[in-house]
Amino acid sequence: MTSVPRSRYRTVIVGAGIVGLYTAYHLARAGAGPTLVVDRGFLSGGASGRNGGGVRQQWETRATIRLARESVDAYRRFGREFGFNPWFRQGGYLFLAENAAELERLRTVHDLVRSEGLPSEVLSREEVALRVEGIAPGAAVGGTFLASDGTLYPFPVVWGVYEAVRSLGVDVVFGVDALGLEVRDGTVVGVRTTADTVATECVVNAAGGWSGDFSRRCGLEVPNVATRHEIFATEALKPFLDPMVVRPSDGLYFSQTVRGELVGGVLVPHPTGTSTGMPSSARFLTVMSRALVGLIPRLAPVRVLRAWSGFYDDTPDGFAVIGEDPRVRGFVHANGFGGHGFMLAPAATRRVAQAVLREATDLDPTLFSPARFLVKAAPSVAERLQLG
Amino acid sequence: MGTSPPRRFLYRGRSTEARTGETLLAAVSHGGLPLLERSLRYHRPRAPFCGIGQCTGCLVRVNGDPTVRSCRYLPSEGDRVDSPRGWPSVRRDLFGLLDLLFPQGIDAFRSLRRPMFATPLYQRVVRRLSGYGPPPPGVPPPEPSGPLLRKAEVVVVGGGASGEAVSHWLQAHGAHPLRIDRALGPTNGVGPDVLTGTSVTFLTPPRPNQEYPFALLGFDSAGGGVCVSARSVILATGGYDASLLFGNNDRPGVMTADLALAFSPEQERSWFHRAIVVGGGDRANEVLERLGSRVAAVVAPGEIRPDVVRIASELDIPLYPRSLVLRARGRSRVRGLDLKGRGGGPRFSLAGDAVVLAHRRLPNVPLFRLAGARTVWHPATAAHYPEVDPSGRTSVPGLYAVGPVAGPGAVTPAAVGEAVTVGAGERPVVGPSPIAHEVPAPGELEGYYRELLREPRRGRWIACRCEDILLREVEAASRAGYRGGELVKRYSALGTGLCQGRYCLPDVVLVLSVLEGRPPPEVGTVTARPPVFPTTLRALSSLDTVTAEEAA
Repeated sequence: MTSVPRSRYRTVIVGAGIVGLYTAYHLARAGAGPTLVVDRGFLSGGASGRNGGGVRQQWETRATIRLARESVDAYRRFGREFGFNPWFRQGGYLFLAENAAELERLRTVHDLVRSEGLPSEVLSREEVALRVEGIAPGAAVGGTFLASDGTLYPFPVVWGVYEAVRSLGVDVVFGVDALGLEVRDGTVVGVRTTADTVATECVVNAAGGWSGDFSRRCGLEVPNVATRHEIFATEALKPFLDPMVVRPSDGLYFSQTVRGELVGGVLVPHPTGTSTGMPSSARFLTVMSRALVGLIPRLAPVRVLRAWSGFYDDTPDGFAVIGEDPRVRGFVHANGFGGHGFMLAPAATRRVAQAVLREATDLDPTLFSPARFLVKAAPSVAERLQLG
Repeated sequence: MGTSPPRRFLYRGRSTEARTGETLLAAVSHGGLPLLERSLRYHRPRAPFCGIGQCTGCLVRVNGDPTVRSCRYLPSEGDRVDSPRGWPSVRRDLFGLLDLLFPQGIDAFRSLRRPMFATPLYQRVVRRLSGYGPPPPGVPPPEPSGPLLRKAEVVVVGGGASGEAVSHWLQAHGAHPLRIDRALGPTNGVGPDVLTGTSVTFLTPPRPNQEYPFALLGFDSAGGGVCVSARSVILATGGYDASLLFGNNDRPGVMTADLALAFSPEQERSWFHRAIVVGGGDRANEVLERLGSRVAAVVAPGEIRPDVVRIASELDIPLYPRSLVLRARGRSRVRGLDLKGRGGGPRFSLAGDAVVLAHRRLPNVPLFRLAGARTVWHPATAAHYPEVDPSGRTSVPGLYAVGPVAGPGAVTPAAVGEAVTVGAGERPVVGPSPIAHEVPAPGELEGYYRELLREPRRGRWIACRCEDILLREVEAASRAGYRGGELVKRYSALGTGLCQGRYCLPDVVLVLSVLEGRPPPEVGTVTARPPVFPTTLRALSSLDTVTAEEAA
């Protein structure tokens, strides 16, 4: 039976994915006192070990663009800072438009991205064809491109942050599920787990796809929904594709890793909720293959090796939930990243750590706040560039 | 058949012939075991290893397609065949220097990080060196086809002896099973009810309440697909010969019994003359019976069974039971084997031009896993088998196992045939079948590895042939605190190549069990993922599964 090394911690983080571990890293660096990270599964067993490794800065809101830009800088420095090579390759992100209306929408994103000082480009049909070798004629009328976006290998990032927090004295325990909060006078005093009850003044919910489950176990209504997405990898080929390619119309995205495999996915609706598990479906394989071969016919003879699936932790407006829950003092959210936890983690978790330490943050006070779901008003802003 | 003219194709620029039904591998092996490949990381020479279309030892480029398995490919007239890797040639490859320059292996996750400004350059070089070949040249997009949908009362997957036997039993009793086999070419009785060269996966998990609970997708090597809905599915997927960990265990000439038995000494080509057979049970017996005249010695990790001893002494073949296999000798081809008696016995060497691995046969279980059938760990072979009753029923109603995959001798074709025709799912599963393996004894292989890991090492110990992952990388992951099969796989990239872990994980799980000090089933296996075998995008995109699913 796994046990927790101590009975009292300053902070307990639920979830040892990239968000939980990076939060622990910022806390440890700030000297925030003893920190415990608990995880119900194994390291990299959740979305942090299952994503496609895309890191982009093209978003529909300034707040997200700024977090993403800061994260890109962090990933560029990652190898030096953490001792693991994330193979962060800045081959760019190319959004494809199938028609003029879509190109218009992408152009709006492009204008916003440029106004934030990032050199995004609008590509013509011909320029798209130069960057996506073998694209079917007529498959895209144009697109937008940002060269400093890129892809990385999620695993070394997870190992790097994990080993860093452990050397900084953070306890990380696997195979332990968090069952609920101990609350006194509206303030967190502990967390119940399958191992022990641990005394603490602050609990961070960084459980990714399981964060909605955990909040609800704590008796708090939250709108987070675990949505299953699938992804596949092909055999390794010599390099022929530099950017990550995304087609928003059907959610197709794919890139070629440093090792040469094509890795990508497409939107195939699945039942939601963590209870459905993470199976892979042959139907996804066929839908994905149709989409990919339709876009780049010459890839037809390439072989698919395997497919796997993982959870997006979705919120209604597409923004993450970062900050203290207004209903329970000491319960901090770091979830709802909707499949973009990896992209935003280095920057977003700095704000999570600030929330834990009750320091001032530069985060938009409304967009990411857990309080936004408690008022009955339709959200005015939303982040809709979800896939890829 | 049989009278059609041989097909001529270009092999490394030379005109070569293939007789009807002859695979590309057979056609290019007339001068002996061919050297076709260089390994992915260290460019080590590789020759065919498995012979059943799973490993990466016989990959060739055919008309620009860089990863064609020559043991599974029937050449067409005018094909252009060469080896995509190795410069200037696969025989003399300058990149083979990587093997000498990095005797400790390359740590892809920690190296090439500094200086920061150089990382784009490193990435370019590594990208260039990676991958099997450029993407295949332009081909016409596949015809958008509707679902090729078939209905079958019974589907039998696997055309080996047990699949054949159960099909015959069913036919003799008035049923018309649809038979699907991954092997190429005609098995007995090609007809509308036989699909050859076709690998299958499940479209959806079985839906027990429906009249036809199973939806199978079949993909043939030509890029076609078929969707089959079935009332019952009998999986006769059989087994394969496992790999073994020792120094230079990837040397050309080290092969599984599956490949060795595909070789017939009567034919003029000679893959080997003096083989060292590893194993002391059923499979070793089979190798001796078929290829005895070309066997130099029999060595076994454990005991050698009396019937093997008998046939070996008739043929005057020396026996070395309870031996640790330490290292294959030879540079571009096996010349011998270094061994040591177990329990502190002496070191010795044997000469031979091949090492035939016949010590352990593993069941092909991924389809059972994908269907959601329960499996049970069997310590005798250190492998998971589907949980079955004496009639071959699995925990999924309507899904049956027959033949070696259910445990040899435990489930007879007649028992399965009767259960299927009487009606599925009426009796509950009664528990795991008694599996009649005699060697090795339970825990024997773990004990073998416990002893072997204490020995000083020479040569490269390849844990994963496809991705060139070394045993020391697995041990390093374990030392760094990464525990369990799933985690070590992610940490070391082991098992992510073309064979999808079939040849590395079974042994690595045993090594991890020794390193972690817990039984192998607790170390865990890795989840089965579709497709079961590498499948082309063309084949996968040939089916409109959304419509197929509605129709089913």
